[in-house]
Amino acid sequence: MSAVLLIVIPLLMAFLSILSKKVAPYLLLLTSFASFASLIVDVLPLETITIGGFASPYGIELVFDKYSLFSLLLVDGLFLLVVLTVWFKQKKMASILLVALAGLNGLLLTGDLFNLFVFLEITAISAYLISTTNKQPVHTFHYVVAGTVGSSLYLLGLILLYNMTGTLNMSDMATRLVGVNQMAVALPFLLMFIGLGVEAKLMPFSSWIKGVLGHADSFSGPMIAGVYAAASLFVFGRLLDNVFVISDSLNLVILLSLSLSILAGEAMAYSSTKVREILLFSSVAQAGIAILAFMQGYTEFAMLFVALNASSKVVLFMIFGSVAKQLGTDKVSDMSGLFVNHKWTGFGVTAIILSLLGLPLFVGFTVKLGLLLSLFEDQNILFIAIILISSVVEGVYFIKLLVELWISDKAPKVRISCQFALIAVLVGLVLIALGLYWQPVEQFVDQYLYLRGGWF
Amino acid sequence: MLQYTAIALMMVGLYGLLTQRNVIKIIISLNVLEIGLNIFIISIGYVQDGVAPIFTGVYSTPSVGFVDPLPQALVLTAIVIGVGTTALGLALAKNIYNKYGTYDLDEMKEGQL
Repeated sequence: MSAVLLIVIPLLMAFLSILSKKVAPYLLLLTSFASFASLIVDVLPLETITIGGFASPYGIELVFDKYSLFSLLLVDGLFLLVVLTVWFKQKKMASILLVALAGLNGLLLTGDLFNLFVFLEITAISAYLISTTNKQPVHTFHYVVAGTVGSSLYLLGLILLYNMTGTLNMSDMATRLVGVNQMAVALPFLLMFIGLGVEAKLMPFSSWIKGVLGHADSFSGPMIAGVYAAASLFVFGRLLDNVFVISDSLNLVILLSLSLSILAGEAMAYSSTKVREILLFSSVAQAGIAILAFMQGYTEFAMLFVALNASSKVVLFMIFGSVAKQLGTDKVSDMSGLFVNHKWTGFGVTAIILSLLGLPLFVGFTVKLGLLLSLFEDQNILFIAIILISSVVEGVYFIKLLVELWISDKAPKVRISCQFALIAVLVGLVLIALGLYWQPVEQFVDQYLYLRGGWF
Repeated sequence: MLQYTAIALMMVGLYGLLTQRNVIKIIISLNVLEIGLNIFIISIGYVQDGVAPIFTGVYSTPSVGFVDPLPQALVLTAIVIGVGTTALGLALAKNIYNKYGTYDLDEMKEGQL
């Protein structure tokens, strides 16, 4: 078996699912389960796959290495989790979700920059359609416009690079960019950075998220804030670690814009009074931290950081999306006392949020501490300051939120389905377990450090 | 010259995106932007007096100045994707009209959004 099947089978199933609306949800369930299972049971060998028999720099190639394996495991796992909760509710979405799965797998596998653009558009179009379930056409329209302009800019940067180097293959591009004047790479790199930044929710380019995620339900929220965000951050990691080498002055520009993104995201989360807005602005900040870590070369911590953040955001958006839909509002004051009657969900959500903050006993602490320790070794003071400041601000608003949700006289009458409660408790327990017993995490970091610098 | 035209078209598209408040006009601006981009991509592979990159009896050596076929293939894909996005945008525009009774983003009341 080859990893091409991860892209081809969902695409084929998407076409088949159009023929019969009744079978479509089952096809979706089966395909997303098969795709996750095939990654777990290790039937796909780690290899670089050439498509169509054209040798590497000329044809398209898919890169299935440790990096893509980890990212695929995470993204497909979270995708399956979201699909399990909605496949019988959103029957119309089945074909779209199958296309989305094909696109996400393609994004993470591809080793070709133009191919990446095509998959970027496929996933973006399915994301627009997923966001229509919010029933907010104007906000979805803003998302469409921002996304299309973003990917046009990515294409422009890409074609400038093609003109300079004469190749579209990522590894070939990386070798050809070695001797090139860094300032000549600056314009195409910035264009691509902006284009990908729209999807990855970086601050100045992500005006759409407030409209889309601020009205998200328990389906579109986890999808866009969790699954899609993780995929686009992993794409960023691939480009920053394997293709581009950022020079000093360009490095400074990007560093400053990312720092601004982190601090502004935290500030806006601090000042907002709605639960979903707090969550979405905190994901803006987290995306900034992850990309900073990728850029400075702390790939293993960035990957863990993205994994933690994405899985936490999936659960949080799921629960608060469903609660907000029942209450008709997501103001913190209207939700106060939510966990008085839902202790188990409350336990899970609290564990997830405390892990996001990086408190000891939770795995978020291990990851943040590891990142900070390696930053101290490298004397990267600016980055340390930014992470610590953002953690403090994050601590203030998240603890305030938790206190409001736990301690109150009134308790809003809502039903949290036992599926969501179960998922919250399970994820919370996993985060605590990994926090107490961090050997697997440590092992992952060591293994990845050992293998760093190569494609395999 | 071709590249200046392409960049000018892209700028016109961006200007339209920034200034227009009508949903349909925004979609048209997006299309202008995409057409400018497509012309720019074509211009990358263009060779003055070039011929199609096919070995024939008349053009049997690569020294005759073939045009680069890759950007043309890229543009073909980009056009298809652009059409898909436009169709989606128009469907959304229809939804917006059904919900608010207008295409103008300014005429929609604050509370409705």
